[in-house]
Amino acid sequence: MMNNEFKLPPKPKSNRKRVRNLIIALILVVIYYWAFSGVLSRIDWSFVNKLSDNLTRIVPRLANPDWAEIGKVTELIFETVFIAYAGTLIAAVLAVPFGFWAAGNMVKSPIWNTFGKWFLILDRTFPELILAIFFVISVGPGAFAGVLTIGLTSFGMLGKLYAEVIESIDMDVVEAMEANGANKVQILFYAIFPQVLPEFLSFALYRFEVDIRASTVLGLVGAGGIGTLIVLTAANRDWEQLGLIIISIIVVVMIIDYISTKIRKRLV
Amino acid sequence: MITFNDVSLVYPNGTQGLKNINVEINEGEFVVIVGLSGAGKSTFIRSVNRMVTPTDGELLVNGENIIPKKGKELRKLRTSVGMIFQNYNLVNRSSVIKNTISGRLGHTGTIRSVFNLYPKADKKLAFENLKRVHMEEKIYNRADELSGGQQQRVSIARVLTQEPSIILADEPVASLDPPTSHQVMTYLRRVNKEDNITTIVNLHFIDMAMEYADRIIGMRDGEIVFDGLVNEVEEKTFEQIYNRPIREEDLRGSENDASASGE
Repeated sequence: MMNNEFKLPPKPKSNRKRVRNLIIALILVVIYYWAFSGVLSRIDWSFVNKLSDNLTRIVPRLANPDWAEIGKVTELIFETVFIAYAGTLIAAVLAVPFGFWAAGNMVKSPIWNTFGKWFLILDRTFPELILAIFFVISVGPGAFAGVLTIGLTSFGMLGKLYAEVIESIDMDVVEAMEANGANKVQILFYAIFPQVLPEFLSFALYRFEVDIRASTVLGLVGAGGIGTLIVLTAANRDWEQLGLIIISIIVVVMIIDYISTKIRKRLV
Repeated sequence: MITFNDVSLVYPNGTQGLKNINVEINEGEFVVIVGLSGAGKSTFIRSVNRMVTPTDGELLVNGENIIPKKGKELRKLRTSVGMIFQNYNLVNRSSVIKNTISGRLGHTGTIRSVFNLYPKADKKLAFENLKRVHMEEKIYNRADELSGGQQQRVSIARVLTQEPSIILADEPVASLDPPTSHQVMTYLRRVNKEDNITTIVNLHFIDMAMEYADRIIGMRDGEIVFDGLVNEVEEKTFEQIYNRPIREEDLRGSENDASASGE
């Protein structure tokens, strides 16, 4: 009985909010209309006919991998994983000092701290392939260019994540260490590292998962790994071999994701 | 011996933390500071180890004015003044023994402490102090596996390992239940008597102040409004300090009240 009679107090209504929401809705409708009308007027409908033809011709061949090349593919997949591993390792170590630089509770001067944050943003703005091209030109094609690319792109993201971890620590512990006369280095090792290292490691592992996927495409521009082979087989229309490559990548990524998720669960 | 000569403290935002404090605390005394929150109790004790810096006056600790100290000098002062916190401030992920031995940091070289190379005597000291607070069976447990009372006992062991001449305790029992509070206060009291360590404790529970203190200092609005030995104190005194009648919440309750809920 009581339940039926109960009513929440009425929500305050404001005309300004209504007008604002109406305007937003109107603008969205206009944008959608404009976008779809553009697509529909320019679309070439003949692709639908080609689609079924392409699918019946290529997909069965992709699903029927050519196991003869398994040795070469395995070797290149290992190279890809190693590029990701070495790159992530560089990034995970390099990101530590930059993480501290960008953490608001570790740097006294706000201006200096903002520089740290900007530096990491700057690093994150470089697309992977552009950096890869840059390194292929400067150190020559091969796995080394790939390692450098992964290292440099991951470090910006890891630095930002590390900085956020550092900003979330319990500063009371730092205060306790200050109060017993510890110096800065001792505070770092006794109050800060125990709080942040497990999270650092967890983020580095997560980034390793991402980097494996990233390093499979680095070969497109000659930075080592399986990517080069992908380009070649696709250009030769060797769909059986491409199928093998795709399946191998999926298997390896799944295995590594599974292991790293298990480890990360135990870390934190 | 701690001497406040006309000490004032104004925070950068303009709040007056301390107003012309003049007080002397003798060696080996157990002083309890009472007052409502915001009365300046915390500011008072945090001035003694310079976690805050008074803006005016002279503050002598063991004969030296500590207000101008900085860097190495300041760290040296802090090694001789231990501090206990309301939230224990242990490193949750570190073991009890590692937390305890971190009391030695001020006495240990950087390299030695980073590589965990403490002299045998220091390790013994840490273990002995854990024994004193009856935590010797938990030394390899992580700090976050312990109850609040146990964590506060570890933090007492950490302070003792520092071998201080003064212990400051900032609301050490505010987060604990009555029986555990009495236990922690009993340890503090025992350490004060056995080792002759000057102890200053902030409390807002009147009954606990009466039970454990030698001397009570009452603060209101950054000023000392009462200073006397515990036998001079009556209920009226607290009403003067608090500037209002005493309420239920100002009392912690006796040790036996809730002893069933002990650890």
